[in-house]
Amino acid sequence: MHPGPPLPPAAARLTRRRALALGLAAGGLGLAAPVLAGCATASSDDGPDPLIPLVTRARADADLVTAVLAADPSLTGQLDPLRAARSAHATALEQEIARVAGTTTPVPAPAPATSRAGADLNSVRQAVADAAREAAGLVSSVPTARAGLVGSVAACCAAYSAVLGAPPTS
Amino acid sequence: MSVPIDDEAVAALQRALAAEHAALWSYTLILAFVPADQAAVARQDIAAHRTLRSQIEQTLTDVGARPVSAQPAYATPVPVTDALSAGRLAVTAEADALAAWRSVLEHTTNQQLRIAALKALSEGTVRASRWRAATGTTPTIPSLPGIVR
Repeated sequence: MHPGPPLPPAAARLTRRRALALGLAAGGLGLAAPVLAGCATASSDDGPDPLIPLVTRARADADLVTAVLAADPSLTGQLDPLRAARSAHATALEQEIARVAGTTTPVPAPAPATSRAGADLNSVRQAVADAAREAAGLVSSVPTARAGLVGSVAACCAAYSAVLGAPPTS
Repeated sequence: MSVPIDDEAVAALQRALAAEHAALWSYTLILAFVPADQAAVARQDIAAHRTLRSQIEQTLTDVGARPVSAQPAYATPVPVTDALSAGRLAVTAEADALAAWRSVLEHTTNQQLRIAALKALSEGTVRASRWRAATGTTPTIPSLPGIVR
């Protein structure tokens, strides 16, 4: 026998019971991330980069806020930080797409966002709620190198959704 | 299929636990300096951090790791002497916790742990935004919580 520090724990499995316990945090933003069936380490070499829809949505959201503010400048203080955040999301996501594309295949540029009719505060509420949901849905399946970025985008959009309020139910 | 919680994920959870310990210590100090309305918010935040702390401790224990203990005291970036400096300590404590939870996301492929970390990151962003608003810190909601302050 030799003295020494205690051995680190062997890789242990998170039991279903315990996973549920950690998942049972109190409170909620209505941000129920779906449990994806896919494996988190699944290869994404095939097909377009899964972050492209997030870039497209982020750019569209920034454009939507621009349209809303043009119609109602009194919302500037409330919504201009959101426009900046969604633009920052698009830039950060594009950088990550380019990082991966640099070693694989070129990624097509996201489609330009089109202007929207009926741009108002409720449409922004719906947009950030949708954005939070979309990004949260990717968090489970992206590689570790991307999980922080996608998680931050989801958390930011969820926080805006909490602050702006839920969109009216149709 | 569950992905194992490996040593890397355990280390990230230990860092998150350390951040939760620090946040709880900070809020105890904050309570002494903020007015009643902010104290009510702080108590809600304390409850949230206690929940996260116990969840991490239980998870670590279940996978055979010994949860890190709280320090007896922590050094604040600036002395806390009034409501504003107390609020700024809350901003710092929440930012540290957000960074730790983001790190959990980046150090595991376990889906349940990812989802739990995202929940903590999202709810922590809302907590942080309240203290950022109270202290005039902009943007009120950080664009990339856990990455950019």
